[in-house]
Amino acid sequence: MEGRPEEDSELFARAQRGETAAYEEIVRRYQQLAFRTAYMITGSAAEAEDAAQDGFVKAFRALDRFRPGAPPRPWILRIVANEARNRVRSTQRRLGLELRLAEGFRPGDAAPSPEAASVAAEDRARLLALVNALGEEDRLVIASRYFLELSGEETAAALGIPEGTVKSRLSRALARLREKYEVAPHA
Amino acid sequence: MPELEQQLTALGSALDWPPTPAIHLPAMRGGRAPLAAPGWGGPVSYVPRWALAAAAAIVIAAAGLLAFPPSREALANWVNVHTIFHQVPHLATPSPHPPGPLGQRLGLGGLTTLPDAEKRISWHIAVPSTLGRPDEVYLQPAPDAPAQGEVTLVYATRPDIPVAGQTGVSVLVTEARGTVDQNFFGKMIGPGTTLEAVTVAGHQGYWISGPLNEFFFTDADGNFRNETVRLAANTLILDYGGTVIRIEGNLTKSQALELAASLI
Repeated sequence: MEGRPEEDSELFARAQRGETAAYEEIVRRYQQLAFRTAYMITGSAAEAEDAAQDGFVKAFRALDRFRPGAPPRPWILRIVANEARNRVRSTQRRLGLELRLAEGFRPGDAAPSPEAASVAAEDRARLLALVNALGEEDRLVIASRYFLELSGEETAAALGIPEGTVKSRLSRALARLREKYEVAPHA
Repeated sequence: MPELEQQLTALGSALDWPPTPAIHLPAMRGGRAPLAAPGWGGPVSYVPRWALAAAAAIVIAAAGLLAFPPSREALANWVNVHTIFHQVPHLATPSPHPPGPLGQRLGLGGLTTLPDAEKRISWHIAVPSTLGRPDEVYLQPAPDAPAQGEVTLVYATRPDIPVAGQTGVSVLVTEARGTVDQNFFGKMIGPGTTLEAVTVAGHQGYWISGPLNEFFFTDADGNFRNETVRLAANTLILDYGGTVIRIEGNLTKSQALELAASLI
């Protein structure tokens, strides 16, 4: 174990045996993803914080129902996203989610990648504005897959829809985005 | 990856997300310590933000009212500080249901708890997290139930889900080891009932709109099972990795699929 991060499955097995430290490590490992997923759904950092907090507490209490060997990310995301959706329902309101570009971001600052380097700053701003202007369903599925880089199964868990629906919804959302993107290039 | 998808992926790394707060676990399971997370000043008890805001609003409103003499009088009247107590006759709440646990009237087996049921069976009980904790849990052991037993989760009233008939139950989730056999659907579905194949988180399912006559499946020992459907309502049947899960209730298809997608 020394020198390499412990596998998720090992951590969950230890947490299921009652080792609090293992669950603490799970929380640390997933808190950013869980919070951002909840933020994407609620559009509010405060609501997202509460949803992530309550979600991790519920997951902790439900640890004995986690199936050994099952992928843990969809399980955690499903619980946190449900909390986030419940908050949106109970408050009967939803803040519009306006994702913004990090100020002064230059490709290569945080996570250097050929993709990041290839996108000019103005192109990014224009694409983000188009994503923000999409309908909620389209924006959520695109944000899940590309901004949070969730898998199909994880996106299904986060959005509370079947995996098949993720594929069809994503395909339609990309088609609508592409249409807008190509209609007014470099506006 | 097509160009647009590449640009979206690149965009993801350039976004300005709000800073991730540290998550704290309150002491649970025999007094576990709260999580000490980086950036927070040691262990704290977590209080939801809305509770703090509500408490603050109440304190401010009460202080304002008490500062104004007519309000003090009005408040005093509300809370009966003049020692005039009104006796309120205690009337029994009328109920269409006979007394006792809801599930016992539906013949679901013995009343138990989720942890106890999990100890007594060999498989994992999937619980729909969107409905919260079940109000009642029943376990019916074999041979009165399919091989390896049958567990039923009973949910009384839930927002946006009408109670089914006079049962007092909104949703029933019934689980047993086995497989769904599509050859039986012809017998199960009567006139006015429709069947649609669905997939939930990779699991094959069947959405049945309208009441079922009966429910048939093959249990873990390969025995044909014929079960009575408890609620005359819509049903979602899932083949959930060797467990047949039946979700009954006056649910819409999207409600049922959302509920199934929340199974943990």
